[in-house]
Amino acid sequence: MNNGNSPQTTTQSSNLVDVLETVLDKGVVIAGDIRVGIADVELLSIKIRLIVASVDKAKEIGMDWWETDPYLNSKAAEQEQKQLKEENKKLLERLEKLEGKMADNSSRLP
Amino acid sequence: MEKLVYLYGIIPTKEKEKHPLPSLKGLDGESDVYSLPFDELDAVVCELDPVEYGEKELEKKTNDAKWLHEKAFHHHEALMKLYENYPIIPMKFCTIYSNHDSLLQTINHHKQRMMEMLDDIADKEEWILKIYCEADKVKQGVASYNEAIEAKKEEIASMSPGRQYLEKRKLDQLIDQETEKEKRAFSEKIHKELAALSVDSEVKKIWKKDVTGRTEEMCWNSVYMLNKSVVDDFLSIVKHQQEKWSVSGWHFELTGPWPSYHFAKVS
Repeated sequence: MNNGNSPQTTTQSSNLVDVLETVLDKGVVIAGDIRVGIADVELLSIKIRLIVASVDKAKEIGMDWWETDPYLNSKAAEQEQKQLKEENKKLLERLEKLEGKMADNSSRLP
Repeated sequence: MEKLVYLYGIIPTKEKEKHPLPSLKGLDGESDVYSLPFDELDAVVCELDPVEYGEKELEKKTNDAKWLHEKAFHHHEALMKLYENYPIIPMKFCTIYSNHDSLLQTINHHKQRMMEMLDDIADKEEWILKIYCEADKVKQGVASYNEAIEAKKEEIASMSPGRQYLEKRKLDQLIDQETEKEKRAFSEKIHKELAALSVDSEVKKIWKKDVTGRTEEMCWNSVYMLNKSVVDDFLSIVKHQQEKWSVSGWHFELTGPWPSYHFAKVS
């Protein structure tokens, strides 16, 4: 049955349109008990394509900054805070050492 | 509260006995897909939580593009999987019943028609053709080979410079009009040839570029119901036309075989 032209389930835009226009709009209608109409296939298709396209495109050009951007990713935010805390701790230690040395020096002054 | 029943499609029981149902997860990603035997027909279904998938909740969900994307593809993939093994009457996305009894009543009501339809589609395949064009190339072609335009050009050449300017602008408009006509005429000719091979065919909506996401313009969209015996011929015609016309900016996109989404009709 498969001959290389089968409908694919990839995110390619053309196949996306094929699947959406068929699945959302066609198929046998025998009234179910839960009624739901897809409001606007065209509008939703555009939205879906934009979501797919933006993710694909971004990955394609190596733009995955949102995965590590603290404003967009809480995990990354946590990591960043941890790093900052450690940096702070190290700086404080250095400062204390320096202050200690200075105190030593001043006490040795005549 | 009783679970809701999501219906994917109807298959013949005798076919299901030959091939056990593939193992699939349901629409919610948790429940299992199974089949309910109704005499000679089997309904392929999954169960859904009545609160989460009630009418109001479902309407909210279907307006969420992300959810819709994922679930529409789930429906499609489940049907493709089933279609590998059985002739199937594919249901529209989100056909849901409040319980087994309600589904049983509906199937009983349509049973005769469904049996006939399954017989009818068993030896047929559905294929979708989309024709795209590079609008510039088609326009160029029209500008250099169209008779009406050639005649107009000759007429303009013999005019005074002032008139020529005005007439050239009119000529541009004429070229645009003829290009539009050509898009339609070209596609209709191809469609006619393919429709002649088909048991049934339907011309579908042409989508704009913001839907297709392509740089080429969609100029034709149609679907064909084919006897399996002619599918090879059908494919080779499309391939031949593609080879012949791609230089002139025409691109054919054929997908299939699809479950009979377009031609299986119950009522």
